[in-house]
Amino acid sequence: MLGLPEEFTAEFIARLEQLRIKTRREYAGVGKGSHLSPRRGSSLEFSDFRHYAEGDDFRYIDWGLYGRTDKLYIKLFKEEEDLLTYIFIDASASMGFPEGDRKFSSAIALALALAYIALAAGDRVMIRVLGGRGATPSPGLVYGRHRIVELGRRLAGIQPGGGLDLAAALARELISIRRAGKVFLISDFLLMPNAAERALGLFNAANMDVTAVQVLGGGELDGQGLNGDVEAVDAETGECVRLSMGPRERARYRESLLRLAREIQAFCFRNGLHYARYTTDRNFQEFFLRAAAEFGLAH
Amino acid sequence: MGPLSSFGLLAPGALWLFAIAPALIVAYLARERPRQATVSSVIALRALHVMRGRRFGGWPRLSWTFFLELAALALAALAAASPYVLRRGAPLAIVLDNSAAMQAAAPAGKSRFAIAAAALDAALAQAGAAGAVTVYLTAPRPHETGGPLDGAAAARKVIAQARPVDAPDDPAALAALLGQLNADRHLGRIIYAGYRPIAAPAPARFTYLGVGDPIPNYAIGRFTLSRETFGSAALHASVVVANFSPAAATLKVALVGDGKPVGTAQALTAAGAVATLDFPRLPPAAVYRAALTPADGFMLDNAAYATGAAVKAIAILFVSPTPADGASLGGIPGIAVVTRTPDQYTPRDLAACDLAIFEYAAPKELPAVNALLVMPPPDDPVFRLHAAPAARVAIANWPAIDPLTDGVNFRLLNIRSGEYFGEHPWLDAVVGGAGGGLLLSGARGGHRYVAAGFNPFPYLGRGNLPMSILTLNLLGYLAGFGAHAGGYRTGEAWIVPAGVTRIITPAGDRVAVTAGAAYTAAAQGVYRLAGAAGAPAPRAVNLSDLAVSDLQNAPPIAVAPSARPAPSGEAAVRHPLAPWLLAAMLGLIVLESWFVYRRRRPAPA
Repeated sequence: MLGLPEEFTAEFIARLEQLRIKTRREYAGVGKGSHLSPRRGSSLEFSDFRHYAEGDDFRYIDWGLYGRTDKLYIKLFKEEEDLLTYIFIDASASMGFPEGDRKFSSAIALALALAYIALAAGDRVMIRVLGGRGATPSPGLVYGRHRIVELGRRLAGIQPGGGLDLAAALARELISIRRAGKVFLISDFLLMPNAAERALGLFNAANMDVTAVQVLGGGELDGQGLNGDVEAVDAETGECVRLSMGPRERARYRESLLRLAREIQAFCFRNGLHYARYTTDRNFQEFFLRAAAEFGLAH
Repeated sequence: MGPLSSFGLLAPGALWLFAIAPALIVAYLARERPRQATVSSVIALRALHVMRGRRFGGWPRLSWTFFLELAALALAALAAASPYVLRRGAPLAIVLDNSAAMQAAAPAGKSRFAIAAAALDAALAQAGAAGAVTVYLTAPRPHETGGPLDGAAAARKVIAQARPVDAPDDPAALAALLGQLNADRHLGRIIYAGYRPIAAPAPARFTYLGVGDPIPNYAIGRFTLSRETFGSAALHASVVVANFSPAAATLKVALVGDGKPVGTAQALTAAGAVATLDFPRLPPAAVYRAALTPADGFMLDNAAYATGAAVKAIAILFVSPTPADGASLGGIPGIAVVTRTPDQYTPRDLAACDLAIFEYAAPKELPAVNALLVMPPPDDPVFRLHAAPAARVAIANWPAIDPLTDGVNFRLLNIRSGEYFGEHPWLDAVVGGAGGGLLLSGARGGHRYVAAGFNPFPYLGRGNLPMSILTLNLLGYLAGFGAHAGGYRTGEAWIVPAGVTRIITPAGDRVAVTAGAAYTAAAQGVYRLAGAAGAPAPRAVNLSDLAVSDLQNAPPIAVAPSARPAPSGEAAVRHPLAPWLLAAMLGLIVLESWFVYRRRRPAPA
């Protein structure tokens, strides 16, 4: 639909519009929106009291408090602003293997789904692709749901490739971010656990609300293409591992891969990060809507 | 099994094949190089610790399959060197008569063959583990079974599996085999078990296990079919029976055609005498079976088979400027006519015919078959007949008893025109008239020739009965009655006729054959010859050998004495080891292939 991934059916988009991004913290936006901001404003959400000063609006004087204390206090309310949503997609070579698993296209679909939710709620969205080939300069923060088509077209031209130091790339991106907000990091996280934790910890330390979305291939989990005597070559580093794969080894490989994923998940839970894992052999729409809470989404 | 004496190599130069071991290693390494597969990350694989076959010194990878292949190579190189071991022992040759006569039951009830096999089995059990044993069977031709056998146990197994056949033995071939064995000084002992005794003096190494006790027997010797008369559709069977018993007996033969009784005949036959039983005017049938009673201990020769198709059709070549005259002969049963004009005729046409008729024509050379010349032209260069044409000929004389004139009413024979023959050097006048001979007959070069001064053709059958009888007499004289004499005998090889692709034996087995190849029928009965088209043609095969049926008189076998000195009784026998080594090598390769296949097979999803 309109250059968007095939998963974006009219029904799916309608379901996306019922969702909104929920943050564990309040972030200052750049315009009016639906998210509570730490700024004082005119929402219904009470924030604080302060002494009445000349010129304040009488409507906000707390007369009850005046009756008890005989002093005039003005009620302060929170401001509702838009949310700045940052989506980072890992486009390193590992996202392209195994080829039949369509990990990268799934990652793009996830990113666009999250972006659409944000744009539909009046939030601002910035999508950045880390690594890969064919990436064009990002337009920065975009606003308005109609921009989803442009984002989809830009992402469609990108192919995964090359190596990527995830933590270093994210650190570079962090420098260009001026306001904190919601961060979605979509990757296969096939790196050593400490490297993944360093990458995720960067945004956590910058007071961002982070959701780590791990994309794994169904065939990747089953050890697709790894039969008998095989020399496995790392798509990013070129490192070779010689092994003889049988049913027992494949089961151990799957267990090892899932253990790595569980370590990242545990890190996220320890540090107050959202974590969601999508395996490409599952139905995309069904997974996304069911796992909304894991993504940090709310109805 | 004799004691192991020594080990040796027949071709030690082949041990240089070990030099190809480096090539094998290179090929092995090339083959063992694993295929590459790009994966998203090797982190999880690194953690697996399933790397196998870490290489000693990095190169080559010394897995068990490597040593397995090295072992296979070593075995192949060793096999190429043709290793052998010498075993000392007394090789033994066993000749077991499995000919038809061995099917006869001894007075005790067991067959001669069973008695001989049991005697051999006992002899081998007594001999114990000697050297190599070679077993020969005598029928259909003396032959070795299974090659040299390793010990008595293997020989006993072969003998237990041997069966008698319906074919007679060949005494000359058997004597030659025994003489050849007697001349082989490597043999320690020769055991012959059969019904024919060995003529004295028997060679020293020979052991004769005789089963040839005299047995009374009644036999069918010959069963033939022929046409009742020339040109008749009815058949005539002739069965020769023999009484090989000490007393006269009434021998009765019942004939069955396609399962239905068609006749019986009997004859009181004196001891040692032979009688012929005739069965005239048999109804047509595909297969006839003759059964002889009373029964005796040798049932094989109490039955015989014949096929109606065996009565051969007479092939006539008719050369004439008016071929329609020859075509009229086609209505006579059992006759096949091929017509040619004199211009078309070549002597090669005679090859496929039984007799030739030249009407108003003559060959340019003496025909190689019996021939009838009808009013030959005056310039005939071969027979040089002097003919005088006559507007009306009259028969004046004919012999009363002659195959040509038998049954012909010459008074009713109305011959209008013709020619009289003058005197001829070797053709004699059989029928004559006032002007000379009208029908000449004679033989030359083993063939019969008849010249007619009148034309009996076309053949009109009952439309001109006297002339038709004369014509049939002429054809019968020149072609005989068309009987197929003896049929086919067990043990004889035939040439498979053209178009036949398989033979169905009397037991129902289907044997694929090639036309033109030899086929030996070892069993008595009716074989069916099948081809791509048409119904299978039956062919009867019978023992038909009264010499075999005479179970009271078996001529002894004379074994030629050996000119060489008698052997020591123990000889060294070389046993090649190459087959065992090659089998071991193949076993190793199969084992490795199986393991490699299991390892490389994709895991179930």
